[in-house]
Amino acid sequence: MKNVPTEDILLFRSCLVSVEYPGVEASTKFVFDKLGVDYEISDKQTCCTGLGHYSDVFSQIDTTAIGARNFRIARELKRPNLVMMCATCYAINKKSVKLLNKKDDLRNHINELFINNGLEHLTYEKDDLKPTENIFHVVDILYARKDEIKNHVKYDLSGYKIATHHGCHYCKVHYEDTIGGVRDPNVMDEIIAECGCKTIGWYDHKRATCGTGFRQRYSNPNLSFTATADKMNAIDDEDVDILVHLCPNCHIQFDRYQHLIAEREGRNFRAVHLNIAQFLAIAMGGDFDKVIGVRAHTVPVDSVIKDLKEVEK
Amino acid sequence: MTTQKITDSPIDFAEKIIEDVKNSKEEGVLKCVQCGMCTSTCPAARHSDYNPRDIIERVLEGDETIIEDDNIWNCFYCYTCHSVCPVGNSVCEVNQILKQIAIENGIGYDKLYEYMGFADSYFTAAIGAIPERFFPDIDRDVPGWWDFRQNLDEIRTELELNPPLMPSEDVIEEVSKILTITGFKDKIEKIRSTEEEDQ
Repeated sequence: MKNVPTEDILLFRSCLVSVEYPGVEASTKFVFDKLGVDYEISDKQTCCTGLGHYSDVFSQIDTTAIGARNFRIARELKRPNLVMMCATCYAINKKSVKLLNKKDDLRNHINELFINNGLEHLTYEKDDLKPTENIFHVVDILYARKDEIKNHVKYDLSGYKIATHHGCHYCKVHYEDTIGGVRDPNVMDEIIAECGCKTIGWYDHKRATCGTGFRQRYSNPNLSFTATADKMNAIDDEDVDILVHLCPNCHIQFDRYQHLIAEREGRNFRAVHLNIAQFLAIAMGGDFDKVIGVRAHTVPVDSVIKDLKEVEK
Repeated sequence: MTTQKITDSPIDFAEKIIEDVKNSKEEGVLKCVQCGMCTSTCPAARHSDYNPRDIIERVLEGDETIIEDDNIWNCFYCYTCHSVCPVGNSVCEVNQILKQIAIENGIGYDKLYEYMGFADSYFTAAIGAIPERFFPDIDRDVPGWWDFRQNLDEIRTELELNPPLMPSEDVIEEVSKILTITGFKDKIEKIRSTEEEDQ
């Protein structure tokens, strides 16, 4: 497995986490603190451009120039390890680092733009960051510290039927760096196992997209929701209580639109939706309002997770 | 049957894609054996007329009219094709390159009108906010979402999140400057003026 750092981390803020599920950020901090991960959040870091990029509005040069600025901020803070809460930020930033290191013309072009316009302080030198050594998703860090998890588990969630959805932009874009498999992704199943819970493992469409498809959800909702229905039907066939994911795009698609897709399918979907950090934070005793941020959820988390039972020590 | 002239060079189109800044698969597109693994695992192919295998066939035939084909806009960018291709090609990436070529040639602007909000939120707040023109749809489809958004500040305070949502003025200014010098701002203005003419 690749080497995963647990220090000198810049925890990269995500626009969708910030405005749709802020509890994912609070839960990530809560869990990182428990696991002794050394991180900081910067008020200078800005959005990765992902949503605009995958709506075809931002070109690769626009996105990579913004990336170069964020990479410079990380280096100035002496926190060269970028850790993303959003799978899209992860894929976007990793690709920009790859391109900046590999494509001299692109790097020179962006640096020249910076130098000619009074932004010399943002220039990027080849190999300032490395895609595999410096660009991570939160699950990579959780996996690296997974032996530590059981020491902090307060509540027993093993009575629930749990499934995982791994997020295409974590698993499939930079598959050479994905922990826990790509065709049969399991990194979250392994992390959840450290809480004393056994997930259902493989299910039909486990590796399939959540159906967001960026522009598809807004401009082509019929196509988007039909793809999501594949997954939701499979989850419901397995009678799942909790679906755990790692990306706010997927989170919106499942949590915000579950009732609408249930109506379309003539079924009654009942799973609740949690980010992996929220799942761990619940297991570790995080407050539902002050840490998990359940007020942001459309499917009420307490419709399934009602009584928490302490683990027997 | 079409006749291939010896002076024709259908591979030029594929080479243009290979040279594109976005391409991370080197000569992957030339290695395509038309096995169809991409299409068989593609969610857009499952539920629409989108066909990733056919896209590469047309690229290799030098059929540049593909950039005008509405079907290319059905890709989910899920990268499933990219992750399973046995020869290391990525239709998902080729698709994104085709769309950028289309936009450079003034094609497909109408597909971008709805997403101009992503550009605006960058210049005003350096964040990628869901464009406001989608709010009525979200409000209709997601019960309670609008109320939640009204209470966002309160929820964030309760979660003790720092730093605040909005970056400082100097950060927004620097980001706006970057997006001006890359040519992004001019492109957005051009798309906007086309939208106004269309209306």
